[in-house]
Formats: sequence, structure tokens, C-alpha cells
Amino acid sequence: MVFSHWKKIGLALLLATSVSSSAMAAADVLVLARAEDPPTADPGVEISNSGYTLIYAAYEHLVAYKGATTEVVPELAESWSVDDANLVWTIKLAAGHKFDDGTAVDAAAVKFSFDRLMKLKAGPSDSFPVLKEVQVVDPMTVKFVLSSPFAPFLSTLAVSGAAIVNPKVMEHEVNGDMAKAWLVEHSAGSGAYRISSWERNQSIVLDRNPHFSGPAPALKQVVIRVMGEVSARRLQLVNGDADIIEQVPVDQAEALKKDPSIVVESNPSLYVSYVYLNNKRPPLDDVRVRQAISYAVDYKGIVDGIMQGQAVQMRGAVPDGMWGHDPAGFQYSYNIEKAQALMKEAGQSNVHLTYTFSQADTSWEPVGLALQASLAEIGIKLDLQAVADTTKREMAAKGNYDLAPGAWTPDFADPYMFMNYWFDPAKMGGPGNRAFYDNAKVTSLVQEAASTVDQAKREKLYLEAQTLSTQDAPYLYLIQKNDIFARRAAVQGYVYNPMLIQVYNFATMSKKE
Amino acid sequence: MTITRIIVPRLILLFFVVFGVAIITFAISHLIPGDPARLIAGDRASAETLENVRRDLGLDRPVTDQFVIYVRSLLHGDLGTSLRTRRPVAADIATFLPATLELGILSLVLAVLIGVPLGVFSAIYKDGPIDQIARTISVCGISMPVFWFGMVVILLFYAKLQILPGSGRLAMAFAVPQRVTGFFLIDTLLEGRFDAFLSAVRHLILPTFVLAFANLGVITRQIRASMLDVLQEDYIRTARASGLRRRVVIFNHALRNALIPSITLLGLALGDLLYGAVLTETIFAWPGMGTYVVTSIQTLDFPAIMGFTVVASIGYVLINLVIDLAYMLADPQIREVG
Repeated sequence: MVFSHWKKIGLALLLATSVSSSAMAAADVLVLARAEDPPTADPGVEISNSGYTLIYAAYEHLVAYKGATTEVVPELAESWSVDDANLVWTIKLAAGHKFDDGTAVDAAAVKFSFDRLMKLKAGPSDSFPVLKEVQVVDPMTVKFVLSSPFAPFLSTLAVSGAAIVNPKVMEHEVNGDMAKAWLVEHSAGSGAYRISSWERNQSIVLDRNPHFSGPAPALKQVVIRVMGEVSARRLQLVNGDADIIEQVPVDQAEALKKDPSIVVESNPSLYVSYVYLNNKRPPLDDVRVRQAISYAVDYKGIVDGIMQGQAVQMRGAVPDGMWGHDPAGFQYSYNIEKAQALMKEAGQSNVHLTYTFSQADTSWEPVGLALQASLAEIGIKLDLQAVADTTKREMAAKGNYDLAPGAWTPDFADPYMFMNYWFDPAKMGGPGNRAFYDNAKVTSLVQEAASTVDQAKREKLYLEAQTLSTQDAPYLYLIQKNDIFARRAAVQGYVYNPMLIQVYNFATMSKKE
Repeated sequence: MTITRIIVPRLILLFFVVFGVAIITFAISHLIPGDPARLIAGDRASAETLENVRRDLGLDRPVTDQFVIYVRSLLHGDLGTSLRTRRPVAADIATFLPATLELGILSLVLAVLIGVPLGVFSAIYKDGPIDQIARTISVCGISMPVFWFGMVVILLFYAKLQILPGSGRLAMAFAVPQRVTGFFLIDTLLEGRFDAFLSAVRHLILPTFVLAFANLGVITRQIRASMLDVLQEDYIRTARASGLRRRVVIFNHALRNALIPSITLLGLALGDLLYGAVLTETIFAWPGMGTYVVTSIQTLDFPAIMGFTVVASIGYVLINLVIDLAYMLADPQIREVG
């Protein structure tokens, strides 16, 4: 009696198994598996790439990056002009763009979005340091008034935080929060998709925005699944249950390349990995010691060994792929005699320094070990100090370290993101000049470049500043990494843009079995 | 009468435990150097932006004020808002805790259902083939790392045989049920969706098995050891001598006594399961407390860390209370003395 019951249940389970096992996702549904749940989808507060995935899918911006380049082209904007003083930008909007509730995108919505961004004053507003006011000229024209000329302004309009939000979202405002609580897990944009459900740490479902002005996307639905374990993500991809997997370590990438149904995307990114040298602390305040360290590093060993070739050595501060990069710029190379000579010239021996790192980037520990071995050859004893990532950030921001590794990606497509952030003394500490570097000539060059609008002139200024700063060796320029993820070969139409890490052009992608 | 005498002091104790835990966690999380505002606004945030975020979160006030505010809202049942997800911590816990409990309880039940009989037979047939097998299984269970064993079963049942899902709680084709209990097995049935229920069952099989296996070994060994002790006792010999059947003696006399020390173990095992679930959850992409807590610690999400610690300590005190009550049921001596 009892046993026949169990038999029935077992049979039912088996039947269920045979029906649903390894059912690949439908051709118009794309499944993306990644390690972490995005914190929020609110353009006004979100600063992580995992959140940008949602924001760029659900919202449009005034301008957008053109294809795979860092150049910007109109999206919601139709045209723009700037006055002679470089203070007032007038932007005309293109007709026909609609939010996901069918309301038209107009100048009032643009003003609302920027007012909200500046009022929230969370991280994303920092891309607009000189934005004074946004004015509605007529329903399709909007004016941005700046307090001082800011050359990268146009490219900052493409950042996640500059997304145009439907003003109707204020219906969801609670206690004057500018609808912050609601926008955490919902969207109110004119992008190709909208967030239709979000199960925390499980899955996020994006469905098509029925009012999207562009051609209807081939993918009806995009599902983002959270899977912490990389091997689990890999199995899902191989079995066809996931179409794209992120955070693929270099060794796993090699293995996946052997499967013909999988494509490993490994593209040069603008992500650089470097080491801050504390320019304020002796003996690192001596340029010769910093140069000696820069000559003592085995760059090739780091690129080939630690990064398994999925990176290139940096050349100056501005990475390859961004305008302002100097392909002929000076690059330190491994030269132990020169390093030893510099140490001798500086009168330094038996130096004791500490390398403070966290596990936020898995390469930081092996890099530290490599540095330890290299620096030993020039009389520097390097201690490795492992701390929690929040602690490392705090120590770096306060200048409470000797050497500390860092990672940097640009928020907007302008050398300003490297040159001004890294070298301007006004940005010392957390904001970007974590080496506490101060060279009057470099400072005036980068500041002039930031307020000049003519790009050719700016490039010249940045190149000069780069040459000078590289000589000063304020940072240890290590590597420019590749962005690696894997997709099924059936996924078509993906366009990589180095400014949009973890962001996909879902609207123009498709699946073909 | 006696039951009230056990429960009331425990509940008073509960209050002090929670308060103590709150102080300690609060102190630790504020002693760690690291600025949560920097995590939220980003490393590059300007000083003004950081100031603004701190004010927004109440982090600009003195630590003592922050603690008083925290305790006051705690007394009102408010666990605060997560710095990272910007959702109420209580809502986050209500989302993730049931997933962990569903997995943890089922694993414990499975571990007991297999472990207790295995321990009993292992003791009865000491040194025989059954005992050897049981001991091998328990050594494997104790010594095999969960992350490794988890990957092996996923590789076998999901990747190779393709008969069971390897991650998540439900197949993607099914909508997540409306949260009533948060247990998918119950909620799907409440909605009358038998197909979704089956999907939930299928998703539970592998992680439950993996988690149960780790605890199975401990339970088997404990039961075996106490059974061996009990079987040496005079009263067992007396029972047998008085003509009672072997089965009756083993199950009615010996097992009942052997179970008493095991009850404590079960209580501890439930605690272990909840925290052993962290690894299992990661491997099986199971959206439970484990992932949530680990991420919260990494991002210094004070309210989330504290909320979890408070809820977990309440849980531990209650589990201990239940264990004590279970003792009373199992052992009349404790009942009378107590």
C-alpha cells in the first residue's frame, strides 16, 4: 500500500524529468549568467557595471557610444551646439522616443532626470562637476548651463547616470526620496527593454518596451541569472541553459575555447591594473626610487604568467583604445642594472616597504609576490599586507600605505578620466590621485586640457603631461587587461564597446541555432 | 507548570542575548576601518558627495547616537535599510531566509532518516559488513568537502546524465510563487501548481542530498556510539533475559535512550546546516542567506550584517529551547526533576 504510493510519486518525478530536462532556452530568450546580483537599477545612484547592464537596456541617453568606438553620436538628442564661452550647451531632441508607458520623451523629462541626479548627489553625479542648471527652452530643446568650461561634457552625457528617466516615476515617491526606493528594482526609461521582475539573488527578467522607438528587438526577453560559482556557470553555458556567462577566469577561458559551440570573447578593455606609490612618504618621495622600482618589475612575467597573455603592458597613463593614448610614449622595462644604479644614486639601501592589497582582484596577490621578488634585487624588502577591500580603499584614500594595487576604468570616454583624476592635486586621495602626486607643470597642463574644447589642442596638452608624468613614475604602470566573457556561438550581433563593460546591445542581438 | 518554568526564563534570556549580540556586532562592524559611504558612492566620489551620502544614511552622527537609533528601531521591529540593496533588511531576510531553511530542514530530515537507522544497524552488527559500510559512508560524509562533492554531483546528474537541474530553486519556465511561507514546496502547492511543485522538488534533490551527506556522517557515528553504550547496559540484558523480543528491546528500550544525547547534536546540526549551507548555496546558485551575508560582509553593509546576526541569535536561542523541550519528552527523569 505504502510502497505503491511512493512508486506513483517516483514515476511522476521521472516523467517530469524527461519532459523538462535540458530544455534549451527559446530562440527569442537570452539567458545571461553572472556572479553577482546588481545592487540597484537606479541611474541616480548605481555605480557598478552589473547595474549598468540593466540601466543601458532600459534607458536611453542624450548621446550614445558609436558602435565599438569611444566616440559619441546622438541617441535622444538630434543635434547640439555650444556657445563661444563653452558654458551653454543647447541640445535639440529627436522626435518619436517614448517611455515604456507611452509618454513622449521631452525637454521636461531631460530636466527632471538631471535635477534628480544632482539632487540625489550620490556617486553618479560626480561626472557633472560643473553643471549649474538645466533649462527647458521649448518642449524639444534643452539647455545645459555650466559654471566653468568642461571639455568632456558631451561624452559625460553617455554615462549611466545621465539616463533619461520618466518624470511620472514621481508617483512612486516615498518621503521625498525622488522615487529612489521604487527605482531600485524597477525601470522607467525609453530603452528597448524594461525590468518586469526581479527575484533577488536569483533572476531578473527584462521584457521588450512596447513603445520603443527603434526596430523591435529580436530577443523578446532577457533573463539575468545569478550564479556565484564559476564552474556552475560554465556547465550551464556548455549545456545550453545559459547563452552568455560572465567572470570567466583566464584558465577556464582556455578550456572553453576548445568547444566549437562556445565563443570566448576576449577584447582589449580600458581596464588598467596599476600600483599606487605613495609620493608623500620617504623614500618614495624621491623620484629616483620610484623610477628604480619601475625598472625592477618583470612586466613580461606578469603579462604572460599571471595574466596568461590576456593583457598588455601599460604605456603611460592613458590606455590604448582611448584618444590621448601615446603609442610612442615611454614605457619602463625590466632593467635591473639601471634600477640598482638609480637606488645607489638616491643613496638608498636596505629599504623596507609594505604592499597593501585585498582580494578584490585575484591578480593582486600574485602581483605582490612578483614585486616582492623583483624589489629584493634592488635592496627593497617588500612586506605583503592583506586587508579587507574596504580597508584597503580607506587606507589608499587617506594615503596610509607605501604601495597598493589599484584598478581603474573610465566613467566617460575622455583622457580626463585618467590624466585629471590621477595627476591633479585637487583630486588627491579617494577621487583618483591616490599617489598624492604633485607636479606644478603637469597640474597646469591637465587643468588647461580640461577647460579647452578643441580636441586636437587638448590631445597635445595631455600628451605633454603624460610624458612628464611618466618620467616622474608616480604609479607603477602594470597592465591593460582584456575583458573576458563566454557566449554560445548561436548568440549573434554582439558589439563590444570598451566603455560598456558588462553592458550588452540586447536590442540588436539575436540567437540562431 | 514545569514547561512554563523552562520557557519563561529562556525568553527573558533571549532579550539579553539579542541585546548583547547587537552591541558586539555593532562595535565590531564600526571598528573595521572602511567607509560604507565610499562603497555606495564609489571610490572616486568627491568629498562633498561622500558627505551627502553619509548624511543620507545617518553615518555622520556619533557612533553612540547611531547605536541608540538602531536599538530603538530594533525594538519597533525595524531592522533598518540595507546600504547595498537599498531594501529594508527585514524584506531581504524574509526573501532569503526561507530558501535557506527549506534546504536546511529538508537536509536535516534526510540526514536523520538515513543516519539514525544506519547508526542503529551499525551498532547491532558491530564490525560486520553493514557496520563497515556505514562507517565508510560516515567517514566520507565528514571528510569530503561540500564544494567538491557538490561539483561532482552537478557534473554527474546535471552535465552528464542531464536528469536533474544543477542550479536555482525553480525552472525558468515557472513564475516564482507568491510568497506565503517562502518555502517553494508549500507555496507552489498553495497556488495549486503541481508542475511548479515538481520543479521545486527536482531543484531541491541535489543540494539537499549534498548538504545531508555532510551531516549524515556525524549523526551515524553519534547514534552508533550511544547505541553501543546503551546495549552494554544491565537493563538491556534484563529485558532480553525476561523474554522480550530483540526488535522490541532495540527499538523501545535501547534506541530511545541512545537518542537523548543525539538530540543536542541535532540542534547543533541544524545550526551547522544553516551555515554549511553557505557553500552549498554558492555552488547551486541557491538564493539563500549564505550569499546575502557574505556579500553584506564584503561591502560592510552594517544594517544587513546586524539584522542577520540578530535574527540568527534569536534562532539559536529558540532552537535550544526546543531541544530542552525535546529532552523532556524523551526522558521522563528530566521531566520530573525539572
